[in-house]
Parts: sequence; C-alpha cells; structure tokens
Amino acid sequence: MNIAFCSTGCELKSELDDRFGRTTYFLIYKTETSEIICIENEARMAKGGAGSQAVQQLIDHNVSVVIAPEVGPQAMDALKRFNITPYNQKGAKTVEEALALWKDEKLPLIEEPGAKGLHKA
Amino acid sequence: MKIAILSGKGGTGKTTVSNNLAALISEAVLIDCDVEEPNSHIFMVPRITGEEEIQTGYPVVDDDKCIHCRKCADFCHYNAIIAGAAATMPLKDLCHDCGGCRLVCPAGAITYEKKGIGTIYTGKSRFGSDFLYGQLHLGELSGVKIINRLNEMTADRDLVLVDSPPGTSCSTVAALEDSDYAVIVTEPTPFGVSDMKMVVEMLREMEIPFSVVVNKAGLGDKEVYDYCRGENLSISGEIPFDRSVAEAYASGKLAVEISDENRSLYNTLWLNIRKEAEKSHEN
Repeated sequence: MNIAFCSTGCELKSELDDRFGRTTYFLIYKTETSEIICIENEARMAKGGAGSQAVQQLIDHNVSVVIAPEVGPQAMDALKRFNITPYNQKGAKTVEEALALWKDEKLPLIEEPGAKGLHKA
Repeated sequence: MKIAILSGKGGTGKTTVSNNLAALISEAVLIDCDVEEPNSHIFMVPRITGEEEIQTGYPVVDDDKCIHCRKCADFCHYNAIIAGAAATMPLKDLCHDCGGCRLVCPAGAITYEKKGIGTIYTGKSRFGSDFLYGQLHLGELSGVKIINRLNEMTADRDLVLVDSPPGTSCSTVAALEDSDYAVIVTEPTPFGVSDMKMVVEMLREMEIPFSVVVNKAGLGDKEVYDYCRGENLSISGEIPFDRSVAEAYASGKLAVEISDENRSLYNTLWLNIRKEAEKSHEN
C-alpha cells in the first residue's frame, strides 16, 4: 500500500508541509517494501485547481492513504471518489513521526473539508 | 465610439469618472463591466427593464461509456477533470467551458450541461440614459462571459462608456474588447502610478490609444506627472481632491449634481477626452 505525505523535503526526516494542494513534495512510502518515492508536486504553482491536480498525482502513483494538514472541499470529493483515505498529520512534525503515529493508528481521519481555494483565474 | 475607463489600482475613480460623464452625456450608454463588484447602479439608480441570465457549460461524464483512457484529464489545462482507473471526475467549478475534453474523448462519453454564472440588468438611469450592468454570482470563477455579452449587447451603439474592472486580468482585457479609446484614471500616489504602468503596457500591447486623468489631484506626490512626461502620455484632465465630492459620493450623489463648478470640470474633461479620442483616430 502506498501512503503519501505532504513534505518539505525528500527524506523521512523532512518536515511536513502545512499545505496539501500546494505542498512542495509528496513523499510516498510503500508499506510492503519500506521504499520511498519523492515526487515534486506539479500543482504547487497551479493558478487554480491545485487540490485537484494534487489528487491526480496521488491517483497516478496508486496512493491509497494521504497524510495531510487539511483538504479542500473539491479535493475531498475527489479523494472519496478514488478511495484515497485522508488522515490529519497534526501532532507530527516530520514525515517519520507522522508515519509512526499512523502505524499506531493515532492519526485522526480528515472527515470535513477545510476552506475552499480562491481559484483566481 | 466605445471608450473604456480603467485604472490598474482599484479605488482611483473609474466609477466616479465614468458615472459623472454618463450623467452629463445623455446619448452615452454606460456599461458596468466590473461584474465581480459592480457599483455604477448605486449612482445610476436604473429602472430595470430587462434581465438576462448568463450561462457557462461544464462537462458531464457518462460512466457507462467512459473507457478510462484519461485523455480528457491530460488535455484539460485547468485541472478540471481528475481521471484514474476507477473513475473520471469533472470539477465544474474549475471548468472554463472550452469544450476540449469532449473533442478529445474517443468514446463519446462527455456531454456539456449549462449553469448560470450571473445576470445582466438593462435599464434607464435616473438621468434618462441607457445603462447596463452585469453581476457575477458569488464564488464563480470568471465574469468574462458576462462582459463579452455586455459588449455584444451595446456593439451597435454610437457612444459607449465602460466602467472597467480594475487591474489587467482577463476581465479587464474582455472589457476592453473593441474599445476605440481608453482613459486611465489614476491618483498621485505610488500605488496609483505602479499599477497604472501595467495598464499602459496592456493598452500598448492591445494597440488602444489612451490618455490619463489624474483624480484626487493635490494629494500624494508628483511621480505620476514625471512618469507621464517620461512616457509621453497625454493628461486629459485633473480632478482636484475635494472633500465635499467624497461626501456626496458616499451618499450616492455624483460631483456633477452638487455644483456648477464640478459640472463644468467634467464638461471640460469630456471635451478633452473626445478631442484626444478623435485625434487618435485621425492618424
């Protein structure tokens, strides 16, 4: 199973990013092999629709769990539709810490979407 | 002739100038193209005789026909379609209604539906002149379709004054479409000058002749005059800062209504603008 983290860097010790759609990197951890893949978030500089482009990248990398600070309403609908479960990263500072908390089932589910983006054209 | 009144920075006096001129010139049609925040109707107080809903299209995917090739999502420049093995999901709030996804879909799974994005109100102002304004619904992405329609509805008129949106965004470019002349309303402040520079660049790019009106003259500094001189821009008029005008404005009254002095100021301004506009089209 692939778990994606919103990360400021490409290592397990990297700090988590405080944005979902515009996170710097998605760090993807494969639970079967403990392998890590780091992808630069293409949506980071999107004029609008960063959340949806972020979800598209998760889908393309077969992610089924995402650990995020918050998720906007459109991205939330999309995550549900594509069966990607969002967990709240609060309490963790680094990817490593968030992964440990998730393994211990200590991260809460994100059930409600946050504020909608501005979609400036 | 279509004359667009614009500014760059918000709050420099686009509405002040366009509405005062519209109040003076009974044959002019005023259109408020600042559809995100229209305010000319507050001064024109129109008797509304017509309303038109403006719509936009968005894609709907037929899941039975979709072959999950992802071509639509790859094509969409606005990330308005998310596609995976499990589903193809359009996001209508992000769609710009270009129709591209329907064209690239090899399975014929995409159709377009319509939704309202705003309204155009047509009427007669309290000064007896024709007046139209558009209002974009809250949360909608773009008012360009409403602005295009406002232009279309007034295309055959002899004299159109446009209260444009601020800045140099898509909305402003749409409002300027087919303008014969433009008036930049600026103020003698660093922000006024800085934002005006972008407008000057845009108008030159669009090859629309223009002149400058300095509103709230007497406040701020001299940078705007230095800039205009340096760039060889003509100044059609200056409107001095006057507290009584601001007070009247706050209660919905225009400068031309409160004194003969202001009336003659705007009359002179109009004569200058018209002269400059006609001159720019002789060459």
